[in-house]
Amino acid sequence: MVTFNDAVAEFFGVEEFSPLVEFAVALVGAVIVGSIILTIVGVSAVWFKRKLNARLGDRIAVNRVGPAGLFIMPADALKLLSKEVVVPEGVDRASYLLAPILAAAAVIAAFAFIPFGSGLQVADPETGLIFALAFASLGAIPIVMAGYSSKNKYSFLGFEREVAQAIAYEIPLVVSALAIVPLVAYFGDTDTPLRMSEIVAAQQGPLLGIEGLPVPNWFLFAQPIAAALFFVAILAEFSRNPFDLPEAGSELVAGYLTEYGGVNFVLLFLAEFAAIFFGGALFTALFLGGGSGPFLPAAVWFLIKMFAFYVVVQWLRATVPRVRIDQLLSLGWKYMLELTFLNLLLTAGVLWVVL
Amino acid sequence: MLDTSKTQISERREGDVDPRMNSKLREMFGSLPIVTTSLDKVMNWARASSMFPFQFGIACCSIEMMHTVAIKHDMDRFGAGVFRNSPRQADLMIVPGTINAKLAPRVKRLYDQIPEPKFVVSMGSCTISGGPFQEGYCVVKGLETFAPVDIHVPGCPPRPEALLYGVMKMQEKIKRGESSPVTVKPYEIRELQDWDRDEVADFFEDELEPDTLVMNYTHSPELREVSEVEEGVNPTTPAEPTEGD
Amino acid sequence: MSVVTRRHEEIQEKIENELPDAILDIEEHQNAPAIVANPSRVDDVVRVLKENGYNHLSSVSAVEYENRYESVYHLRRITDDREDFDEINVVAHADRDEPAVQTVSNVFKGANWHEREAYDLMGVRYDDHPDMRRILLPETWNGHPLREEYDVDQPQYTTLEAHANPIEERYEVDEDESALDTMFINIGPHHPATHGVLHLKTVLDGEVVVDVEPDIGYLHRCEEYLCERLNYKYQIMPYPDRWDYISAGMINEMSYARCIEELADIDVPEYAQVIRTLAQELSRIASHMLAVGTFALDLYGELNVIFMYAFKDREIVQEILEDLSGQRLMFNYLRLGGVSYDLPEPREEWFEKIRDFTEELPEKMKEYRTLLEGNELLMKRAEGTGILEPEVAKEYGCTGPILRGSGVGYDVREVDPYSYYDELDWDVVTKDGCDNLSRVQVRLGEVEQSARIVEQCVDILEDWDGEQEIQSRVPRSVSPPAGTENYTAVEGAKGELGIHIVSDGTEQPHRLKIRSPCFSNLSAFSELAEGEYLADMIATLGSLDLVFGEVDR
Repeated sequence: MVTFNDAVAEFFGVEEFSPLVEFAVALVGAVIVGSIILTIVGVSAVWFKRKLNARLGDRIAVNRVGPAGLFIMPADALKLLSKEVVVPEGVDRASYLLAPILAAAAVIAAFAFIPFGSGLQVADPETGLIFALAFASLGAIPIVMAGYSSKNKYSFLGFEREVAQAIAYEIPLVVSALAIVPLVAYFGDTDTPLRMSEIVAAQQGPLLGIEGLPVPNWFLFAQPIAAALFFVAILAEFSRNPFDLPEAGSELVAGYLTEYGGVNFVLLFLAEFAAIFFGGALFTALFLGGGSGPFLPAAVWFLIKMFAFYVVVQWLRATVPRVRIDQLLSLGWKYMLELTFLNLLLTAGVLWVVL
Repeated sequence: MLDTSKTQISERREGDVDPRMNSKLREMFGSLPIVTTSLDKVMNWARASSMFPFQFGIACCSIEMMHTVAIKHDMDRFGAGVFRNSPRQADLMIVPGTINAKLAPRVKRLYDQIPEPKFVVSMGSCTISGGPFQEGYCVVKGLETFAPVDIHVPGCPPRPEALLYGVMKMQEKIKRGESSPVTVKPYEIRELQDWDRDEVADFFEDELEPDTLVMNYTHSPELREVSEVEEGVNPTTPAEPTEGD
Repeated sequence: MSVVTRRHEEIQEKIENELPDAILDIEEHQNAPAIVANPSRVDDVVRVLKENGYNHLSSVSAVEYENRYESVYHLRRITDDREDFDEINVVAHADRDEPAVQTVSNVFKGANWHEREAYDLMGVRYDDHPDMRRILLPETWNGHPLREEYDVDQPQYTTLEAHANPIEERYEVDEDESALDTMFINIGPHHPATHGVLHLKTVLDGEVVVDVEPDIGYLHRCEEYLCERLNYKYQIMPYPDRWDYISAGMINEMSYARCIEELADIDVPEYAQVIRTLAQELSRIASHMLAVGTFALDLYGELNVIFMYAFKDREIVQEILEDLSGQRLMFNYLRLGGVSYDLPEPREEWFEKIRDFTEELPEKMKEYRTLLEGNELLMKRAEGTGILEPEVAKEYGCTGPILRGSGVGYDVREVDPYSYYDELDWDVVTKDGCDNLSRVQVRLGEVEQSARIVEQCVDILEDWDGEQEIQSRVPRSVSPPAGTENYTAVEGAKGELGIHIVSDGTEQPHRLKIRSPCFSNLSAFSELAEGEYLADMIATLGSLDLVFGEVDR
């Protein structure tokens, strides 16, 4: 696995770019990844989500605006962007206006560390996993800013919940992801097991390195407990159903989003959906073998797996009720925390015995 | 004794072009007719195709509104199915039910909270004239008495098909860039500080903040008729014909 | 009847012994005798009645006469034993100029709201009432609209203001660090979970609800006022449809029809009785479907699967009712002495439609149960939340699925039969959980029972070989004798829906009071919600299945 810059350098047969060209190429890579993400989010947040939810509820959803209702995407975007921007009286203006931009920027920047395969990775630092998880937690800060600055009690409750939730699920998220690092070091035989590309590379062989086994060495199979815990933690971290407490439609009107309209709403909404895909990307890279798969290019496989994650999240949205705040916190502190640490110790123990 | 001066909204809606269809871009390109016309067309198409209705149930009609959204009638087919709970994110306000004196200032506040461009569909007889409850002592005789309405859907309650037709008519209207009617306003809902000193202000002076919304509610039809004649405001456009019912 | 009469005599004797000067007179109302009590001792009289088994205060209504005001209390006995059912009325006269009666809210907590309503609309003051404020109209309203002298044309001013934290002072005393830090939040009148226009003045301590006070009246449509100005025979009938507008119109119409038919002595042909029963139960199915769907909506906060399925089934029921009455929601189908049309032709096709529905229903109910009870998370949310003990429920006059979800099997159809229920085979559904889940389960069970009744009615109608008389002979002008009054109730979709009519010998009622089940159920809401989490309060509100057309009327 190589970053986008390395791939380009290889294509042109150049050993090393000058710093300026390096920057320009990285920018091109970022634009490509950014556009892919924004396209996917645009399609899925506006059109695909509606169609999918309608399908689950026995409806049809948009089918009049363009073929199969596809033109609803430009229509929604144009309409929302052209709406009046209301800044309510008494809000903390700076924070109120900065929050949507920060939310969108943080989550899109996070995609830089994702190894899409086929040379599509903007940055691949040695501590890639930690960077990615740090960006995942960064998403909570704009929500806090938005909720606090809106001067609305529903927003206030929404951000309070977000804080409690983010803190409770931060540690389980990181620790459950760390449980695969020893495996990466073992199977990938590498000194830098936190590098995202190494994590993907370590999942390419047959399961547990046993020759001839038809099952790939995806950590979903090698580390099923960690995968389950990571899935729950990522749902909670990005507050998706059944953990969508900060937004909580029927309780808090629209939670931290309540006072946002027009373009600010678009940015927050976009951040929310991009976060689901970021969660999907992390899950794919960490547990589903990244872009591994037959016939199709790695990047395509990666996107397919990301989309599958998204479908599961939307499915949960239609069928699982929201948990209560005390249930959420007790699950986080009393079960998730202990289980993730136990799993980490177990992994270390098993590897110690094996080695 | 009634102050019948029109409020800001009715004044703003009186120009040649509905200001709701206006935009910063339009002002910028004001001197380039071809650009603005095409831009207007695109923007109007977008506004019509994508509508976020405001989830606001009041009375009987809200049950039929729910049916319009749910399985059989599925309003989302027309791109108007994303119900938003917060007025800040909505642009279509369907008002489904009787409005009384206690609720009217709240409806007005919600209407004001929706960012422009916003459109109003009044659903059911109650929002047209007070419907079967017109003679009641605290029933407001129609939504139009304090907020502008684009489309009326008559019926008690209108069938889901009728509401769908109303929403589709609304979309057609927006696509053509038509303006909305000016409203007649016998019930004034204003902030306390804007009322004439002698009339209401004394009544509430000690108890309320100056920016509290206060509505003057008068039941008598005679008083209202006089005020309309004196004012000479445009008559409201007749309700769109609807299917069903 | 003799048992009941003897019991009335006994209780009268008992009160006379215990409270020598409390009883002034005995009046005869159509439904039961009325004890005319000393207005300052009325709470003692009601207390003695309560101690002797009359444990349910149905309603309190205030009536205006030329020389006095009257406050009328309707009490009932709630037991599981049908033979034991009984009712009695208490009347207290109040002065014409400054009407005042002793409050009974210290005996029945449910009387609190009823008396506030009487004060709001009729201006009768209740002495020692803990909270004598307006309830339906805005605080700034001028005059009491149900009085004869009320000037409807006078200008009124209503306001929109922020509300203050009502319990702030309670914690102000304690200035040290242990003082509770609370937040006041207005939920409604526009809020996605209030299913209408309810305003909850809520005080939160973190996520826990410490104090909640429902503020109603945002849908007050002057129904009683309007009905008092319309004639019995035709004009009132469309209004009941709009009380409980969730497709329960047939039951509402029945509540009015039952009261006036008893008062004006109008017979209903048996054939029409069966049709009425059929229509009512279809209404009940549609209403309960919506209750289950919106309860799920409150837990999910999205247009979810349960909600959509419930609406799918409602559509079928509404279609059947539309075939019968010509309307989807506001049926206006019942008439005094019968119904307005015979069954739709061809009737075999219509029966087939109903049969298809009832035959598929068990399968569907199984699916609902899987979706609700098979969902671990939903069970965790619904079980053990919104606890309403049976004693508290009776205290507040809760009825319907709310009371039956607390294990008390009070169903008006069972204890005080009307229409054709007596001849049919069905069960009262009760659950002992006292929580949100059991209320929803009761509704699911009742849908099945209603389907049973519907099936039996269809069988009877199909084999009907007598005369198909849909309406008896009703005089051109219906005017019950002057001075008579009647209180009857039917089992509405939400509980005991009672009507109190006072006649003055004309074609229009002198007083028509609607005893709405939702009004009483909502008055117990603060008992249910205080101490719960905010999320559970919303779920509890959903499980109460409130309709604001009926709460505010």
